[in-house]
Amino acid sequence: MYALVDANNFYVSCERLFAPHLEGRAVGVLSNNDGCVIARSEEFKALGIPMGIPTHKIAPALRRRTTLCSSNYTLYGDLSARIQQVLAARVPALEPYSIDECFLDLRGLPGDLGSLGAGLCEAVAREVGLPVSVGIAPTRTLAKLANHRAKRQAGRPQVCVWAHGNDRDLHATLAALPLSAVWGIGERLQCRLLDHGIDTAGALRSAPINWLQRRFGVVVARTALELAGQPCLAGTDLATPRRSILCSRSFRQALRQRASLAAALRYHCQRAGEKLRRDDLQAGAIGVFLRTNPFQNVVQHRASLWAPLPAPSADTLYLNQLAQQLLDELWEAGLAYHKLGVMLTDLSPRQHQQASLLAPAESPTQVQLMGAWDSIRARFGRAALTLGIQAPDADWQMHSRRRSSRYTTRWDELPAVRAR
Amino acid sequence: MRLTHVPQCAARKSHPTLQRRGASGFPSPADDYLDTPLDLHRQLVPRPASTFFMRVDGDAQADAGFQHGDLLVVDRALAPQRGDWVVAVIDGELCLRRLDGRHQRRWLCPPTPHRARLPLDGESDCRLWGVVHYVIHGCRQAPPLNA
Repeated sequence: MYALVDANNFYVSCERLFAPHLEGRAVGVLSNNDGCVIARSEEFKALGIPMGIPTHKIAPALRRRTTLCSSNYTLYGDLSARIQQVLAARVPALEPYSIDECFLDLRGLPGDLGSLGAGLCEAVAREVGLPVSVGIAPTRTLAKLANHRAKRQAGRPQVCVWAHGNDRDLHATLAALPLSAVWGIGERLQCRLLDHGIDTAGALRSAPINWLQRRFGVVVARTALELAGQPCLAGTDLATPRRSILCSRSFRQALRQRASLAAALRYHCQRAGEKLRRDDLQAGAIGVFLRTNPFQNVVQHRASLWAPLPAPSADTLYLNQLAQQLLDELWEAGLAYHKLGVMLTDLSPRQHQQASLLAPAESPTQVQLMGAWDSIRARFGRAALTLGIQAPDADWQMHSRRRSSRYTTRWDELPAVRAR
Repeated sequence: MRLTHVPQCAARKSHPTLQRRGASGFPSPADDYLDTPLDLHRQLVPRPASTFFMRVDGDAQADAGFQHGDLLVVDRALAPQRGDWVVAVIDGELCLRRLDGRHQRRWLCPPTPHRARLPLDGESDCRLWGVVHYVIHGCRQAPPLNA
């Protein structure tokens, strides 16, 4: 049994935690360099301001009724790690999926699933102070859909449990769910499936598996099985480029050396960069996570760090450079590391590059270089051209005029408690 | 499926090497008595996920031992009890107050006697944010506690 835990309006909730006067206000969080709106509170959504709208296009009258914050990835990353710590202490295994979502493996846990989910919501709300919703189902695909459903519930805790593939609520939901809401089913696939009368998740689920596999390939067949309640996808398979990209792998043998971890990270950065460019996307923020083996009796360490990019990028060399700097912060000597990964988020289409005054956009040379890089690797194999050692370079400050304090990571930016 | 508790370590971990040899190669006689050095962070922050550092702003609670600029160690996982010092949200602001009363009838004591106490009954606009576990006060006439 799996759970998907998703923090509600995560960036906005983080802003409100230390600025309670923002509660009840329409709050929007802006992308890097304050370009456009990337997160909205419910009140902000109610004003009808769409996601992704460029900041300067919000009408002044409307803008006065809102509070706009620059994104504060340092704060979001720290709070995200805290949520994961609280959850990891309560379940057998946890897989980060994006900065505000993670999958939990609930196998072997005793008791009623509904109260288990409610307990997780309650624990995160009490200990970290952020609202989360929980979807519980036999597969990751269903858990994610259950989470969507939980979010639409009015009261707290927001928990939706589909204990088995034959749940009635699950049937009703899938029958009404368009294919576009299911992962791994891109637009082209949707059209092809539609030709065969498969227009909803429910229809896909009841199509014959062998036929699906012959006709549309193994990914579609697996998705159909997942929808039917049969687990066959790993968490990494689900990292669709729409919201985030995740590249990670467990090591066959634990790694202790900084240099070996760096090499693994280079490998993942190459993969992540490739995935980005394949879908013509660029990333606005990068995260690195690292952990020891929780099933072995060794000194445990689990940590992740996020950093914003000064300007969105799809440049493998640059992403790797930032990732290596994050690894330097995370890595501790003497520990046996078991898994490492890189996550990209705040994704946007590559062609809508927004020029930043402070940090240069991807230069045409960079774009050409990556084009050459990809075609060489496509033609001669991935091993033909790989990343060498990158020298960490200058720091990467970004333009963020309305950024809140880094309340949890800087001594000189701690929240003030009024005693007047 | 085997259940394994995942121990959470904060960013810091100190573990003594098992054997320290002197220059001569003989094991040190202290090996059997090796202890980890005292780690104040571990002592004051047993639950890193729910612990937040904050700074006192103002001198209204100075008589109670909270002076302007003092560092508060606030733990959200602690269950608030009568007599606890807490961080509370009052009119959208984080405030330092003392908690009094029991069960359904609890209130925040006013910082000065002439002000009213604030009931925590769900109807009022105030709620608890976290429990102050420690306050750290620098004794020298120096700038406030910085890293």
